Amino acid sequence: MENKDLQVQLSTKQGFPEELPSLLKCITSQTIAGFDSVECGGMNYQTQLVTIPNPQEDATAGKGLEAAELHGQVNVIFGPPPSSPVEATDCHEPHAISVSMPASPSGLHIVQAKKVLFIDKAGPTAIDGQPNQPSDSDSINSRQPQQGKFHSQPISAGNSCGKPTEGKVSDPFESQLRIPRNDSQRDKRFDPFKTWSGKLERQLSNLRGKPQEPDLEAANDCHSAENETVPAVDRYFDALEGPELDTLRATEVSVLPEDKKWPFLLRFPISSFGMCLGVSSQAILWKTLAISPSMSFLHVSLTVNLVLWCISLALMATIFLIYFLKIIFFFEAVRREYHHPIRVNFFFAPWIACLFLVLGLPPSVTVNVHAAIWYVLMAPIFCLELKIYGQWMSGGQRRLSKVANPSNHLSIVGNFVGALLGASMGLKEGPIFFFAVGLAHYTVLFVTLYQRLPTNATLPKELHPVFFLFVAAPSVACMAWAKIHGDFDYGSRIAYFIAMFLYASLAVRINFFRGFRFSLAWWAYTFPMTGAAVATIKYSMEVTNVLTQSLSVGLSAISTFTVTALLVSTIIHAFILHDLFPNDISIAITQKRPKFSKKLAHLRSASSDMKDIEASLPKNNPELEL
Amino acid sequence: MEERELQKPHHVQLQIITTTTTTSTSPADVDVATEKALSKLSMLTRFHAGYFRISLSLCGQALLWKTLSEPTTDAHALRPIIRMLPSAAFVMLWSLALFTLVALCLLYAARCLFRFRSVRAEFAHHVGMNYLFAPWICWLLLLQSTPFLRPHTKSYLLLCWLFSLPILLLDVKIYGQWFTKGKKFLSMVANPTSQITVIGNLVGARAAAQMGWRESAVFMFSVGIAHYLVLFVTLYQRFLGSDSLPAMLRPVFFLFFAAPSMASLAWDTISSSFDTSCKMLFFLSLFLFASLVSRPALFRRSMKRFSVAWWAYSFPLTVLALAATEYAQEVKAEMANLLMLVLSVLSVLVTLVLMVFTALKPNDLLPHDDPFACSNLIPKA
Repeated sequence: MENKDLQVQLSTKQGFPEELPSLLKCITSQTIAGFDSVECGGMNYQTQLVTIPNPQEDATAGKGLEAAELHGQVNVIFGPPPSSPVEATDCHEPHAISVSMPASPSGLHIVQAKKVLFIDKAGPTAIDGQPNQPSDSDSINSRQPQQGKFHSQPISAGNSCGKPTEGKVSDPFESQLRIPRNDSQRDKRFDPFKTWSGKLERQLSNLRGKPQEPDLEAANDCHSAENETVPAVDRYFDALEGPELDTLRATEVSVLPEDKKWPFLLRFPISSFGMCLGVSSQAILWKTLAISPSMSFLHVSLTVNLVLWCISLALMATIFLIYFLKIIFFFEAVRREYHHPIRVNFFFAPWIACLFLVLGLPPSVTVNVHAAIWYVLMAPIFCLELKIYGQWMSGGQRRLSKVANPSNHLSIVGNFVGALLGASMGLKEGPIFFFAVGLAHYTVLFVTLYQRLPTNATLPKELHPVFFLFVAAPSVACMAWAKIHGDFDYGSRIAYFIAMFLYASLAVRINFFRGFRFSLAWWAYTFPMTGAAVATIKYSMEVTNVLTQSLSVGLSAISTFTVTALLVSTIIHAFILHDLFPNDISIAITQKRPKFSKKLAHLRSASSDMKDIEASLPKNNPELEL
Repeated sequence: MEERELQKPHHVQLQIITTTTTTSTSPADVDVATEKALSKLSMLTRFHAGYFRISLSLCGQALLWKTLSEPTTDAHALRPIIRMLPSAAFVMLWSLALFTLVALCLLYAARCLFRFRSVRAEFAHHVGMNYLFAPWICWLLLLQSTPFLRPHTKSYLLLCWLFSLPILLLDVKIYGQWFTKGKKFLSMVANPTSQITVIGNLVGARAAAQMGWRESAVFMFSVGIAHYLVLFVTLYQRFLGSDSLPAMLRPVFFLFFAAPSMASLAWDTISSSFDTSCKMLFFLSLFLFASLVSRPALFRRSMKRFSVAWWAYSFPLTVLALAATEYAQEVKAEMANLLMLVLSVLSVLVTLVLMVFTALKPNDLLPHDDPFACSNLIPKA
């Protein structure tokens, strides 16, 4: 069976003592049978009193024997696991089931499991998931009925919560119908990242198949218990490396199988919205080129803008839809992305891209946009800002001196783009509000990044395209100030010259921007170049001479060329190399550092150096955020 | 009797030495009068400049009421309501503020006399040193809101000078320490209460501008703003984390939005109109206010017990309401008026609630474990 194969794989991979495989093998046969045949009243006595090692903690059962023994003591199934609360009440049996598989990979479930064991012994109502229980046991107990059958299942290479994706087992008849297919084994590994650990999928499939009552309260309890399973910020810094914090360190393991291609939605990062940013900023550039009087010698037609705008609109809609699906089906993964110190800034990208779309609106589509649209678009940016800047200010784990990185510019630029759009629409106070907030926080961020504080772990030592984000804020700020004030006065000029200086200081170091793995986030780094080009065009409208005009043409050419090159490489990666969306390792880090990380590093190819191992100190307690 | 009188100074001397280690030790034979004197003196140890928060709030309130009741060019819907309030209420408030300030100043003077070591320790403490600006800020605010002195009279001038000079001297001392003195670098001592130093400069700038002295006003304003910039960045970076401020003092986080509001008011008075920079500063303080108000968890620990730190809530709200008033006067829009009304009502309510709490729980105002007072007992070199 595939199960066995995976276990053998597991044991050989780890080279752990022989006890483990034999135990696992012993259970395997039992559990397969048990997996199929749970029904109301049908006692699956095979699953009774089985001690199951729970190689749950890490993908590669890092805890090994110790964990096995520990879990062996804890995870004792006393009775046939009922498959749902409904079933439990029907059965009227004192079922006490301990949780061996939490819904998400984490290290805290030893404690939870212990707790559950004691609570379970308390009585028959333990299973029902009634609200009068303490919330911990409630959540765990309510999860048990769904998970019940699968406790006895050993965990295949690295994942938790072996719930089947299908088979909502409130109906025993149906559960018999849903014989686990071979591919269901594969799906279960991604369950922790699914919304409500896969329950939603089962519900949806039930809705398609038989109309079943969705077990909403159990789902909600389950959901609440998962709130504590996102790793703390320090874990992201410890486990990941690289300028975009997307490469797993050699001492770390992923909770999802690294050799397997994950479901598409799980591989779709929020940084894909960078594509929208890149393309819609191009639309703005070509619109400005077409309508600027100082650029009229180029005779650019507005058709280019229209075409680009339609493309970017379509792209935006597509990516929005896909990510929306990801939110529905893989909410846990989205949460982990939100807590990633770099990816969180990309949550501003959809709204900035929408603002760009409105800014680049072709005159042939419409000229006057209602002010309500501005408010609607700025509201999510405002809420996100309150959250993120507040985290900077109130200190704790996510204070700025710790997490500052060039991607933070994305959270600042939104303010300036909103101010620019609002001023173009004729609003007065709103743009000034966002400009003020953006300016104040930009000052802080700029100083912090320039300082390169020693406590800052995220700034890459080498140059990386992310540094181009430095140019974004001053160029958009200059345009926004010009629009607010009505003319391109000294404030705008100061901002513009700062942007030009930063651009120049990055452009002369172009040699150092080599040797990086292409990622979709690179699209986000093209919009600063486009922004600088548009700012130069606006400046050339103010100061019209050959120098400024040629500078405008030059910068526009560079930006268009970069976008084209990026488009080509995206197409190559998408259709030829098929690795446009690689496994998104950065969301699959473990809650705690794996204990046998040193052995792991030896086992793996020596691509990482020993410095990583020595530098990373074990942290046992996931620190809480303020 | 003479003996007793002779004995009293003896006992008093003993007290000065011993109460640095314990709050109250009494000799074996003591009479009631000596006990009273002793208790008063021991109170001086627990008293510290942070208590000026109370007078800050009250003086701020007085200024707010005065500004709200001023006749303006545009008759807003709200101003008549406020003018309905009897002016006697304003005079009462002003007198209360004056009385509180005088009392606190006398207490602090007594503390300087008898507990000079504590005062020095306080001056060296990273939170305490900032509150030394507080009395002068209160006097300036009271001066600006006085009902019977006009800005261009000689006495007003003199008082203004008298109160601004200590601020300038403290500036030189404390700002100089920020970048010269080893143990007192800004990165070491920065905490939200450092914004009081900035507020001091800005209040001085506003007072000078109201008297018509533009240059001195701009001088003080630029000193305040330059250091505000540095402080803002440092505080946002949180280099040391939030452990530089004890949890009980979390209410001082409200100072984050007091400083930009005050800057907005000062620039408004200097440039005689609420222009774009004033608006930007006002909006920044609004944003910071929204940001703090949406994080109640930050203040949970400090709200468990009443303490003088709670008074730190009132002054920033008052300053924000003042700035909103000026903003509403400039931008004659419904939203602006509404904002002004909401903020003013909020600040008045908060001050009232704090006064009620103080009246009900006076003992809590002088607790033994005031986190700030503990460090005062340790004499620092």
